[in-house]
Amino acid sequence: MWQKSKPYLLLLPASFTIILLFFGGIFDGLLKSFGYFPAIGETGLNLTAYDRLLHSSDFWQSMALTLRVAALSSLISAIIGAFLAVALFFVNNSTKKAIPRPWQRLFQLPLTIPHLVAGYMVVLLFTQSGFVSRLLATVGWIDGITEFPVLVNDSFGWGIILTYAWKEAPFVALMLYPVLSRIHGSWSDVSRVFGAGPWQFIREVVVPVMMPAWTIATFIVFVFTFSAFEVPYLLGVTYPSVLPVYSYQLYTSGTLSDRPEALAVNMILAAITILLGLVAYYISKRWNVLKGWG
Amino acid sequence: MSDLRIIDIEKKYRSAQAKDEASFLLSPVQLTIREGEFFSLLGPSGCGKTTLLKLVAGLLEADGGELWFGNENLSNVPPESRKFAMVFQQSLLFPHKTIEDNVAFGLKMQKVGKKKRLNAARSMLDHVGLSGFGRRFPEELSGGQQQRVALARALVANPRVLLMDEPFSALDPSLREEMRELLSQIQKDFRVTVLFVTHDRDEAFALSDRIAVMGEGQLRQIGSARQLYERPHNTVVASFLGLKNILSGQVTNGRFVSSDKIIDASVHHPLADGDYYMIIRPESIKAAAADQSGHVSIRGIVQEMKYVSGSYNLKVIAETQVLECVLTPFQAEQTAVGESIDLLVDMKEVWFLKE
Ligand SMILES: Nc1ncnc2c1ncn2[C@@H]1O[C@H](COP(=O)(O)OP(=O)(O)OP(=O)(O)O)[C@@H](O)[C@H]1O
Ligand SMILES: [Mg+2]
Repeated sequence: MWQKSKPYLLLLPASFTIILLFFGGIFDGLLKSFGYFPAIGETGLNLTAYDRLLHSSDFWQSMALTLRVAALSSLISAIIGAFLAVALFFVNNSTKKAIPRPWQRLFQLPLTIPHLVAGYMVVLLFTQSGFVSRLLATVGWIDGITEFPVLVNDSFGWGIILTYAWKEAPFVALMLYPVLSRIHGSWSDVSRVFGAGPWQFIREVVVPVMMPAWTIATFIVFVFTFSAFEVPYLLGVTYPSVLPVYSYQLYTSGTLSDRPEALAVNMILAAITILLGLVAYYISKRWNVLKGWG
Repeated sequence: MSDLRIIDIEKKYRSAQAKDEASFLLSPVQLTIREGEFFSLLGPSGCGKTTLLKLVAGLLEADGGELWFGNENLSNVPPESRKFAMVFQQSLLFPHKTIEDNVAFGLKMQKVGKKKRLNAARSMLDHVGLSGFGRRFPEELSGGQQQRVALARALVANPRVLLMDEPFSALDPSLREEMRELLSQIQKDFRVTVLFVTHDRDEAFALSDRIAVMGEGQLRQIGSARQLYERPHNTVVASFLGLKNILSGQVTNGRFVSSDKIIDASVHHPLADGDYYMIIRPESIKAAAADQSGHVSIRGIVQEMKYVSGSYNLKVIAETQVLECVLTPFQAEQTAVGESIDLLVDMKEVWFLKE
């Protein structure tokens, strides 16, 4: 009995802490989003916060911006990431070396840099008074730095998208590469003998093989960018702001009555994330992600 | 005629690392494979069989020479346009495609409509004894079944030449036997030209119309199984084919005397005087004392006896020469390891090679 349950018992403190912090936090947030706030004497549960949110245009603007930024970021990093992974795969195939070290290091670099730092780098590089703008002005491609497009703290969110694309494309690439490397070297021989040119090989073999991992990687990027705070906080504009920032703004507005709304925003974020997770799970199941790889 | 002609194709592998490391050279190969023929490349591991096959497939670029199919020069045609098919040692099915889709792959690449190609795939699966398996994925099949699928995939697009690289060597012996029969049947049904690579003599003998024996990057001899076995051109071919009874000696005035003097007999064929090897097939040695005309008698000591499916393989030592012979169980029962035995060799059955 002791033998069997020992590992579980040893894990108990850690799991307990995780469960308490995670679910406890969510539960606390959920209660408060329903207006439960004993500190100011509110002990009843109601949907006022949600009702007010869903009727506020600020919320919907924020939602639209969040979706747009998350969708564009994940799409762009998915495309660049896939391109990098396939390129790496072919480089590797032709050189026949085990792992092209320098390339891998290069791709790992963005992963090690914190998002906040990446955000600052984008600020330094791409503001109108930033490095790129000055460089172009000096070279004479643009007449003055004011001609440089507003990429940072713009209302569309390009700065945020740029940061995420730079940071997440290598993540996608490194998620895909191990899958691609399982492509048998002789499969390209097989497909060539049976009449497939290089493009058909990519379409028939490479893409289908990496599709499941690609979807999952893209989804992870989407969920992350959908609910991340620091980069949009640094690179976005005050209005409209993405949902996490909107929630923060509400929470710190100074009015205690805004707090249930702030937490309601978080709950909606969490709900959407879970929903997306389920969708991704069913899609990946339908696609036989693991078929043939047992 | 749609023969496959290999004209002086050669290939050199340069070793990527140190210069002193041995690189491999496939000497110019000259070979014509007739339409509908089952042709095998037989040779020991590392002799360049796969290399030659890949050169024919176009998967490797030749350093020189030409490849013709009928009157079409394929030398510079990429593999995807050669209309060949190939079966490898592993089945190499695509794990993300169903069996049907795997089989239909070649037709899909030829832009055949979905319905048509799936029908063709199903009927080909029928042919290899796998009807009803079409919807499965490769991992749900046994190794032998996967190899059948690989065969179906290769045949479905009506290839001009079917290239096979040791397709059955990963299967267990009984399955191998079964696959050989299947392949033989299918080859006759479809009248497809086959270029088959193997290091297994029995496999090559069982399947092939003609065989090329390879060694160290060279074609050593081409012929039917019987020609190769009974009339090998040199001792390398002979010993690779399992002819281990090679006695060196001299012919003078129509008599062969082996260097260890265990054989002194008149030669059946007219041979000029000189140094020769005499090759005795294990099957043409009998255990008998009574002398008959045209036979030569050898006395030796039984060194080893092995029972092999219906007969005994014996190693008999006569002076310094080890002779391998195949005896019936009845003959073998008359003797035992360590005892002396009288052997009789029919001089009509032996084969002489000039040294
Ligand atoms: N890409 C390569 N680069 C350098 N040398 C190679 C390469 N491929 C094969 N060789 C060498 O060429 C020789 C012939 O190889 P090949 O694969 O043709 O042999 P094989 O007859 O098919 O042997 P097996 O029966 O073991 O498959 C070997 O000595 C091998 O080491
Ligand atoms: Mg080989």
